[in-house]
Amino acid sequence: MSDRYRIAARGVVRGKASGPALVSSEGISFLGDLDIGTGRVVNRTHQIEGHRVAGTVLVLPHSVGSAGAWRFLYQMQVHGTHPVAIVQNSLPDSSLVQGAILGGIPIVCEPEVDVTTSIRSGDMVDVDGDAGMVTVRPAVSADGP
Amino acid sequence: MKLTYEDLQMLDGKQGEARRRAMEGLVQLGEAFGAEDMVSIGYAHVHPGMAMYAQDVELLEELVDLGAQVVVPTTANVTNVDTENWRQTGAPESLARVHMRGVRAHKALGCVSAMTCTPYWAGHWPTWNMHMTSIESGVTVFCNSVLGARSNRDGFFSVYAALTGRYPRFGYHLDENRVGTHLVTVEASLHNTTDFSCLGYHLGPLVGTGVPVFTGFARPPTLDELDALGAGLATTGGVSMFIVPGITPPYNSTDQAMAGAPAPVELRVGGSDIDRVYGSFASAPPGSRVDFVHIGCPHASFQEMKEYAALLSGRTVHPDVEMWITTSGAVKALSAREGLISTLTDAGARVITDTCPMSCHFALTTSPDPGIVLPEPRIRRMVVDSAKQAKYTRDMIRCQTLLTTTAAAVATATSGRLVARGGSPG
Repeated sequence: MSDRYRIAARGVVRGKASGPALVSSEGISFLGDLDIGTGRVVNRTHQIEGHRVAGTVLVLPHSVGSAGAWRFLYQMQVHGTHPVAIVQNSLPDSSLVQGAILGGIPIVCEPEVDVTTSIRSGDMVDVDGDAGMVTVRPAVSADGP
Repeated sequence: MKLTYEDLQMLDGKQGEARRRAMEGLVQLGEAFGAEDMVSIGYAHVHPGMAMYAQDVELLEELVDLGAQVVVPTTANVTNVDTENWRQTGAPESLARVHMRGVRAHKALGCVSAMTCTPYWAGHWPTWNMHMTSIESGVTVFCNSVLGARSNRDGFFSVYAALTGRYPRFGYHLDENRVGTHLVTVEASLHNTTDFSCLGYHLGPLVGTGVPVFTGFARPPTLDELDALGAGLATTGGVSMFIVPGITPPYNSTDQAMAGAPAPVELRVGGSDIDRVYGSFASAPPGSRVDFVHIGCPHASFQEMKEYAALLSGRTVHPDVEMWITTSGAVKALSAREGLISTLTDAGARVITDTCPMSCHFALTTSPDPGIVLPEPRIRRMVVDSAKQAKYTRDMIRCQTLLTTTAAAVATATSGRLVARGGSPG
């Protein structure tokens, strides 16, 4: 296993969580792209279509704004299909932040490097929403989507 | 974040656990968006409690159990079940029971359980400069753009704002964000609310989260047309506000609407752009059999109810067609007093409140408690008169969806055969 490294970012929603990274270089709309019951990306044209976000640290360039985003993220938490944390380059919209606070899902954003190229799917990631810190333990053979 | 003495009292739990939780959430939201302090709100349009989603009504019940009370006038958004006439919609009793718990929770919190996406037609009319919150993006757009109130597109935290009377100062609560980003010249001739909903629907993806400024309307749009425009914009875009100089307070000119802003993106909308929206929901030829017709999206105003009654007076909905007219309970009560409801129901239409096709148990993309058994979907081909309803019906009910004007939708309902826009009534 390669050495772990840290990425400083801005904590947006408090809390700590760890999980394998699921990286998408395309943004996600929580209303429409994801199925609540399975946590699967169901948008047929999406880059990570078919992947399950459940239990992962979801790494995104941005999330697509929608006033209903909070409900879908919260519903995924109710059904246990939610990502355990979200790391994204840009600040998410207000509705998604509200859903994450409600569901206790930490979010960090505005990292010092582009997380969608520095982190690879399968890397183990610790997210600290209080300190705004991401710790990455790269997988031996990253095999991202 | 700079908090007042009373904000801190709430944050410290001195006003109970519900307000502590609410203020903690609002402070976290404010810090995420760099808000300097909180504003006092004068109105809140909030989470209704959705029976079609597990643990959703419980979000309200939990606050009721903590003794929560709203401190500003508060209305509930459109929801999944017609409170008084749920049997008429085919909703199962198990769903109605969960819904009634939401109604009771709103009563306990001190809200008006208006359960509508157009609370303004039901008498909730915030003023110019009033800070507010709204869970319904269409309400956000109408209140910012027509009334000059100040609202973001919120989620569940609209409830937290109602419980505390406070909201972090960011987004459309700040003057600096209430300026035009796109200058839209309307060259298309627009005749009715459906045309205006298509205008908004077309522009949403082009404008994104910007503020479009409109010029070129042949006449000042009506209140219903402004409502339809906002709903269309909020459906396909992240729009919170549009500006029509001379209508949107306080902008009298495009110069005022653009003051201090970088050069706007210029857009022109022609008749072919409007045609293209209709065309994207025209998957069956005129004359095709139809089994469901819906009008009243967003929930109809009293003015629209009058227009529907005039169109349906003395006519009869075809026996193969189920026709829904959706509105708020308040507008329905007023319409009943004016004799409009009997005209509509005598014609065979159903007047449904609190919900609509895409919001009710017809939707397949929801996640209710496993104890709720929903009936099999039965709608094959639906005709609607709103681009917003058309998109969500197609994506959430997954039936064949066709978009036409209100008059053509009524003609479709009475003939049982699709009448396209501009087609002759059957």
